Amino acid sequence: MVLHEFSVAYRAALAKQRTPEQSLDTVKDAVRDQYEQEQQTKQTPTVEPESPTKQPEPSEPEP
Amino acid sequence: MDEIIKLVRTYRFADAIDERIRLAEEIFRRIEPDLRLFVYSSVSRDVAEDALQETLAAVAKSLKKFEGDTPKEFWAWCYRIARNKLSDHYRQKAAERTLPMPPEEMLRLIEAAQDTPLSPQTRLDLEYAMKLLTASKPECCDLLWRHFVIGLDYAEIAEEQDLKYDNVRMKIGRCLEEAKSLVA
Repeated sequence: MVLHEFSVAYRAALAKQRTPEQSLDTVKDAVRDQYEQEQQTKQTPTVEPESPTKQPEPSEPEP
Repeated sequence: MDEIIKLVRTYRFADAIDERIRLAEEIFRRIEPDLRLFVYSSVSRDVAEDALQETLAAVAKSLKKFEGDTPKEFWAWCYRIARNKLSDHYRQKAAERTLPMPPEEMLRLIEAAQDTPLSPQTRLDLEYAMKLLTASKPECCDLLWRHFVIGLDYAEIAEEQDLKYDNVRMKIGRCLEEAKSLVA
């Protein structure tokens, strides 16, 4: 199938081209951003939920 | 296991930033050409570079979340992210889409990448393939390109273009026959 043959040749040609620095810079910036976000999440202290205190039971109504 | 999957798995468990950057560079050197091909043949050229950079950033940021096991799953995941990034541009009509570069330029690129000159038969075949694409109506050219060159299967194209699977399969078959008759 000529279209498949073309696809293989075209992809091989593209793969041989050098990946532009702009693309690699974008990727590195994104990885750094993601890493910083993860670090911030790790450092943020988790707020402990208030421990449920036992409510005083309502006193029996006096007769 | 496929090399790209090995790299992505290693990336998932990498903690140090230097290690992550090294792995990401290795991964994206391999996948950038395919994503470039996908993006450049999905949107008009004046917005394609920005769209590509947005797509690369989105894939890089989500890389740790990928949990598939096969290259097919990985590529489907990458293309899904790319499609989400391109969703605004997808509202453009198919007719406004173009091949990522003029046919002669594509052939020059292929020839330049060969270690040995193309045989006359291969050259004829490639020229015939280019004729099939350029002779087709824009909608057909787009479908043939996405299926045969980018390598999207019927289900992926159906999802992307909000069509039924059988509808895509039949359309591609018809487009191919039509293109053949135009070139014959």
